[in-house]
Amino acid sequence: MNDIHIKGVHEAFFVPTVNFDSKTGLCELEGESYLEETIKFYTPLFAWIKEYTETVKGPLKFNFKLSYFNTSSSKCLVDILDMLKKYQKEGGQVEVNWYYDDSDEELEEVEDFILETGLEINIIPISEVEE
Amino acid sequence: MLKKTPSGDKIGLIIDLLLLQKNNNEMESANTNKRRATDNVCISYTGLFDSEILTILAQGIEGTLTSNDKVTKKVFKIFLELAQNISQYSLEREPNSSGESMGVGTMLIKEYDDYFQFSTGNKTTMESIIPVIEKCDNINSMTRDKLREYRRLQRNMPASNKGGGNIGLIQVALTADNPIEYGVVKCEDNNYFYIVSVKINK
Repeated sequence: MNDIHIKGVHEAFFVPTVNFDSKTGLCELEGESYLEETIKFYTPLFAWIKEYTETVKGPLKFNFKLSYFNTSSSKCLVDILDMLKKYQKEGGQVEVNWYYDDSDEELEEVEDFILETGLEINIIPISEVEE
Repeated sequence: MLKKTPSGDKIGLIIDLLLLQKNNNEMESANTNKRRATDNVCISYTGLFDSEILTILAQGIEGTLTSNDKVTKKVFKIFLELAQNISQYSLEREPNSSGESMGVGTMLIKEYDDYFQFSTGNKTTMESIIPVIEKCDNINSMTRDKLREYRRLQRNMPASNKGGGNIGLIQVALTADNPIEYGVVKCEDNNYFYIVSVKINK
């Protein structure tokens, strides 16, 4: 199966950097997500996760390093987390790390993602990583 | 028409936004009005809300508003949610350079000692605006925890046909951490000018 590599762009709209590696199961979403057509952008990512969890069935490690995402993007992020939760319930190995910039509001949003999806997410302040 | 008795600040804001729109349309105004409309203004814009102008406005917010990164980020987040609403939902529409129909509206950022006031306005119909007003009242009646619960609920509802998440206004209230102020004024063409505004504490 193919990997996904998308280079982030900060222009009229903000495209996040995406690196999904089918050999290692390491998946990273980084940067900003404010897209002209949010669902169209995220649909191939959903398809990749579906194919990986149905055919490769290996471990998945998701690192979210998003400094900004709008509300439309947040719905798609929850959809990704729901897919990971489903895979975990089926016996798949899943690790999710969420790096945040010490803002209380962002921390609240990730806590809400945990409540919404029931998925365990490791919340890691970026300041701890940089030290 | 205002749904509630407005405060002095709110009346001032509505006048400011209407003047901005009027000035843009007629290119003239009484000096007193012009002064009133420009008091404390950091950024103001009236016109098409397409991706090109959003880029310029975003750069203005990111680059010039304040040296406080946390406050800038809040204003920026609110800008992206409300500007997108104008692009998608304003009744007044014009084609952009690609011929795509985009919304026309007004944006105003004013700075005071302790806060920024971020406001947008656009034309709408009464049928469209009633559910939005009800949503604002509902949002303003909630505690922060209830608002987060409401966001979680709305996030799991189907997206609108324009891809919206149904949660833009909830996000604005949570980001600003202040109530959403709004006003609705009847226009000469029997449509309505809808104004939404929030304070962002410094």
